[in-house]
Amino acid sequence: MMRNPAIRSWRAAEQWLLGSMALALGAAAGIWLLLGPAPTTTPYFIAITLLVASLAASVIMMGLVGRSSRQMEALLQGRASAEARAIETLRNSEAQWKEVFEHNPVMYFMVDATGTVLSVNTFGAAQLGYSVDELLGQSVLKVFPAEERQTAQSNVAVCLGNIGRTHSWEICKIRKDGSTLWVRENAKAVRLMNDQPIVLIACEDITERKQAENALRQSEMYLAEAQRLSHTGSFGWRAGSDELIWSEETFRIFGFDKAPSIKRATVIQRIHPDDRARVLRTTKRALSEWKDFEHGYRLLMPDGSVKHVHARAHAVKDTSSGIDFVGAVSDVTARKRAEVELHEAQASLAHVTRVTALGELAASIAHEVNQPLAAVVTNAAACQRWLDREPPDLKEARATVESIIRDGNRAGEVIQRVRALVNKATDQKTAIHINDVINEVISLVQHQLLSHQVMLRLELSPDLPLVLADRIQLQQVILNLVINGIEAMQPVTDRPRELVIRTCQDETQIMVTVKDCGVGLATENLERLFEAFFTTKPRGMGMGLSICRSIVGAHGGRLSASANAGPGATFQFSLPSNQEGAP
Amino acid sequence: MTGRPASPSTLATAEEPVVFVIDDDPSVREALSNLFRSVGLRAEAFGSAHEFLQCKLPNVPSCLILDIRLPRVSGLDFQAELAKADIHIPIIFMTGHGDIPMTVRAMKAGAVDFLTKPFRDQDMLDAVTAAIERDRNSRDEAKVLANLHALFATLTPRERQVMALVTAGLMNKQIAAEIGVAEITVKIHRGHIMRKMAAKSLPDLVRMAELLGIGPASGRPQT
Repeated sequence: MMRNPAIRSWRAAEQWLLGSMALALGAAAGIWLLLGPAPTTTPYFIAITLLVASLAASVIMMGLVGRSSRQMEALLQGRASAEARAIETLRNSEAQWKEVFEHNPVMYFMVDATGTVLSVNTFGAAQLGYSVDELLGQSVLKVFPAEERQTAQSNVAVCLGNIGRTHSWEICKIRKDGSTLWVRENAKAVRLMNDQPIVLIACEDITERKQAENALRQSEMYLAEAQRLSHTGSFGWRAGSDELIWSEETFRIFGFDKAPSIKRATVIQRIHPDDRARVLRTTKRALSEWKDFEHGYRLLMPDGSVKHVHARAHAVKDTSSGIDFVGAVSDVTARKRAEVELHEAQASLAHVTRVTALGELAASIAHEVNQPLAAVVTNAAACQRWLDREPPDLKEARATVESIIRDGNRAGEVIQRVRALVNKATDQKTAIHINDVINEVISLVQHQLLSHQVMLRLELSPDLPLVLADRIQLQQVILNLVINGIEAMQPVTDRPRELVIRTCQDETQIMVTVKDCGVGLATENLERLFEAFFTTKPRGMGMGLSICRSIVGAHGGRLSASANAGPGATFQFSLPSNQEGAP
Repeated sequence: MTGRPASPSTLATAEEPVVFVIDDDPSVREALSNLFRSVGLRAEAFGSAHEFLQCKLPNVPSCLILDIRLPRVSGLDFQAELAKADIHIPIIFMTGHGDIPMTVRAMKAGAVDFLTKPFRDQDMLDAVTAAIERDRNSRDEAKVLANLHALFATLTPRERQVMALVTAGLMNKQIAAEIGVAEITVKIHRGHIMRKMAAKSLPDLVRMAELLGIGPASGRPQT
């Protein structure tokens, strides 16, 4: 548009030039005609002809020039409008891209090799709390926290080292107000036309994702830490591919290197050979019944050590994950070891209390040995006299020797019984008659009963089933209850001191009851009776009943105490009858 | 009754001494019975004091061997019980472990011996012999006394009165004055007394009076 007057003026000038040239030629011919030859001469005609011809030529030329200049003008005009349209389009596009650049929710930076910001979009600057002008010409390091600057610098260096390649990383930035944001940066170095390298950086705010990731990572870390602390790993079992998906702790427990999954066959090799068949049975049943399962087994580690683990798994109904069972496995080695140690400690303590109880019974035991011993000595003397007779009375002597043997054995049995109680190693369960155990104990406390003037009443049921038990431990329990009963009746003077030992049974268990008519039990003590170190005796250790309860408990039974309706207390313990499934 | 029963032939012999054994342990009482039989002593054994009391004791020299710890009643208590019941049988105590207070109490209460189990057979036999001897003596004494009582019972009340005064050392004259009779009557009473009591002399009669526990007071008339 702006060029149009110029083109027009140029066309008019051409026309004026051609016209004035034709007129000048005509004028020259006219002048020559007026001054030169006569009008009838040949030169005159020639001059006229020339004049006419030049006028005609100038008219033709003007017409030609006018046409071509019109054509030219049209051409020029068309070209100019196309150019204007193109410029318009370009301008629109530029504005549009500018808009995009400025407001795209991506932060764009353009920095030079020294890290100076050459360009930044409004969004990018705004995200960091700056205006564009505040960042332009500044070092880009301004938007990084001190600890990230090194990384940022090296990242830029890496880009500059590989011009044209795109790099990406995640980095933390700092806003003007000091708050931080996490970004993912895609960067690429390019060369400008002046050969200067620059780095184009596009950043995307990933703070939320990063926070979620951190939260997840933290939660995973907590979980891993909790697993590590509790020695409990988790697992998933894909029955189809027979693969196990393990947590880190599970790998640690089983002593395998961490892997995405592990074949079950590999794991089974680690199970203690003695437990393997049982584990396979359990898992096979769980799989076929699609039921939760729980089992304990041992692992035989490559170094020969043994670990105890306890696993519990839940059958997963939702099979979209391909996991059939989800479970947890705990390393219970320490607990098992503690249990064994506890058991040993309890056995030692039981032994100590047994020996203590025997100490209380020393007089009684001495009596029990002394009686047959006195009989032996007396009989031996009698035998001597039968033999010294004239003639020797061999019949009497033989009968006497038989008595000596019998009484000697009796003394031996008492000593045997005491030795068994003093013996430390027990814990051998055999099928025994509880009545026998009671009678053995009674034989040791006869003297005690006598010296405390206690009447013993035995109400032993004759047809009791056998119980699977440790004879010595049960003797200890009964001995303890009997001694307690005797001692409880010590202060009693206004009524006969009677101790009743009764045995009876029901469908599943046999019961032993020891009932006294002594001082009885204070209600507030009933609960504490079986606590360790609880005693009402001035010189008691307070271990007796506590140990009795643990012994009975270890036999699958229960020891309880109750106050009598009348004076005294009753202690009762139950033991499972020796049937299938007895512990 | 437990232990070996004495043979019927020995039971028949009235004067044969018997050893009674009370011990709750059958072995011990059997062994003791055996020992006594081996030396020709008759022995009867019992498991408890109660059983012993159920048995009628023969009137022969005897002794009792008693375990100090017995069911229900202790040996020492039983000793006291027997004394209360006027059964005076020499007692030999046995114990598993004798302590001094127990021994002292037993001996004070008249025990013959106190043996600790197991004892030497000879100690036991010596103790039994001594005990039976003691019983035999006391039985003899008792027999004499019973005889005296029987003789004394034949006296008339006046004669008993005179006997008391005579044995108290009073002269006939004094006695006559005391009881208000003639001296000659006193002399007649004295003669009767000496004959009835089978007294050889006045000192003999005085000894009898002592055994009978007759003092001058008993001779005095009731006023």
